Amino acid sequence: MLGRDGIAGLICFAGSLWLLVLTRGLPHPPMVPIGPGFYPRIVLSITAMLAVLLIASDALARRRRRPGVDAPTARRNYRLVGLTFAIFAAYVFLLPLLGYRIATFIFVVALQLALQPAGERHWVRVLTVAVATTLVTHLVFEGYLFVLLSRGRWTGV
Amino acid sequence: MFELLGAGLLNVIQLKYLLPLFVGTLAGVVGGALPGVTITMTIILVLPFTFGLDPLQGLAAMTGVYVGGSAGGLITACLIGIPGTPSAIATTFDGFPMARKGQPGRAVWLGTWSSFWGGMLGGIFLIGATGPLAAFALEFGPWEYFSLFIFALSMVAGLTEASLLKGLLSGAIGLVITLIGTDPIMAVPRLTMGSEFLQGGFQFLPILIGIFAFAQIMTDIEKMGPAGSAEVHAVAAPSLKVSHLKVIGEILSRPFLLLWSTWIGILIGVLPAIGGSAANIMAYDQAKKFSRHPERFGTGTPEGIIASESSNNANVGGSLVTIMAFGIPGDAVTAVMLGAMIIHGIQPGPLFISQNPGLAYGLFAAYILAHPLMVLIIAAGAQLFIRVVSVPKAVLIPVVLVLCVIGAYALNNIIENVYVLLLFGVLGYALVKAGFPLAPLILGVILGDQIEVNLVRAIMTDSNPWLFLTRPISGTLIALSVASVILALWQHHRAQARMAQLPEQDVEF
Repeated sequence: MLGRDGIAGLICFAGSLWLLVLTRGLPHPPMVPIGPGFYPRIVLSITAMLAVLLIASDALARRRRRPGVDAPTARRNYRLVGLTFAIFAAYVFLLPLLGYRIATFIFVVALQLALQPAGERHWVRVLTVAVATTLVTHLVFEGYLFVLLSRGRWTGV
Repeated sequence: MFELLGAGLLNVIQLKYLLPLFVGTLAGVVGGALPGVTITMTIILVLPFTFGLDPLQGLAAMTGVYVGGSAGGLITACLIGIPGTPSAIATTFDGFPMARKGQPGRAVWLGTWSSFWGGMLGGIFLIGATGPLAAFALEFGPWEYFSLFIFALSMVAGLTEASLLKGLLSGAIGLVITLIGTDPIMAVPRLTMGSEFLQGGFQFLPILIGIFAFAQIMTDIEKMGPAGSAEVHAVAAPSLKVSHLKVIGEILSRPFLLLWSTWIGILIGVLPAIGGSAANIMAYDQAKKFSRHPERFGTGTPEGIIASESSNNANVGGSLVTIMAFGIPGDAVTAVMLGAMIIHGIQPGPLFISQNPGLAYGLFAAYILAHPLMVLIIAAGAQLFIRVVSVPKAVLIPVVLVLCVIGAYALNNIIENVYVLLLFGVLGYALVKAGFPLAPLILGVILGDQIEVNLVRAIMTDSNPWLFLTRPISGTLIALSVASVILALWQHHRAQARMAQLPEQDVEF
């Protein structure tokens, strides 16, 4: 059974092997001693080797560890992390469809609501922060720094 | 040199440069004062605002953030006992007890003026040493550069606290990321899986923002209660009135402590891999060892504050020397600074100072001027910054994430960079949860292309691989790389037993 490090090592090893296989399709120039696959193969081989060492060290550490002596871990709110990632991913994918202004307003409102406790939601503050963030960033970047922010394919704004 | 510096100072005191420098320093002080917002994060957030500026304006703003951020951490360290940045950890040891004894003004101003003097002395080193070191680096061929980059990478990977293997693997993952795109020999698409977007490779900035910002933000969110409680409460602002002459006198009456702490800060800044977070602890430790009254440390002694704060601002000068002379970053903060320079079209390295003297001395001038600005900003707003700490994370996090999206998007005005941001945000968080340090990964991403180019150049020039070992400078650097890994192995072996007994701790980025 693998631990956290072992799983991480396994993912790195599988990724390196897959990319190593992909380097086989790279051309080899006849006139120069090394081609485009030379350096990637070195890096990927080293990565694969380090990943194997990590898997081995994890297996050894798990064998040495006495049962029942795991250190207590602090409680973490992974549900909130997952929700934040989901809201952010939705924002990223809606950005080219709704445009910067609408998508940002919705995102700031949604994330504030997700991060605030249900009983302590201050709607005026939530809406003020969302409007201010959207307008100020839009004004500064488009008006002053000449950065053209995303326009929505669906909305045209 | 002095003529160029004078011209740089005259240039930077123009409003068009002074304003970004001031705003950058202000952002740095506020970001540094906010616990949980590191200097790295502040630089990332300020960077998009500099896209529309000319290179010197942008560099002035970034230098201001770096200098301001290194000092800003002391405000919360002294007044509420929470270091705003890791480089102010040791300031908490004596700054907070001094404030609790009813001398908050003395604590804050001892720290501020120590930062000022440490930073200015670091500036002398920066201005004096960059040119000669860059001239030395001009002797380097591709073998030496390759070995230097390997040395930097091995130092960063080896000095990570978690695990040497994970540090090395993290650096290797950074190198793997740079493999994707067009290869530098035949310009053929490599590992792009048919994607047109990937042919240009991943841009540095979205990777950086994704990895650092998400790792930081998501670990903060993890600690929020099930209801996402707003955990920071308003803090009563104490009076910070103090006799500045008296405080400056207190610092300058300890010249050995000031100079020694400054030197430690500079030295740690110059060395790859060790940053301000180590500098302040080491300077504090040295100050305690040299003190006639070591028992007073931790009870509110001025020596503790002077040592910590003078070293962390001197560290900025030392780090900038390494970036400007060799083009290699020392730690995560300087990696971001280097990335910022590259985005502004500046390639730091040995030729930078000779090819762009106006820009180089403009940066020196900005560094010097950032220090009095930092003092003025703290004088005007220290009490206000304490109130900023009370901004709930539920408000701060969405705003920070919006700025991250703009930063990634505005780089080329393409939405794909925002997808890259999300991808690397997930990867960064996953790596942190798996206990991987992020600094080696970022260094790998920054140095990857240069490592490949120099390796290829070296082999194209002479296919004898032994030249990497037989050329004196290259051989020395390779030997140092091996030594740093062996040293790290030894240190990890020693620490293993101790670490096995410790409970899960927060991850250092």
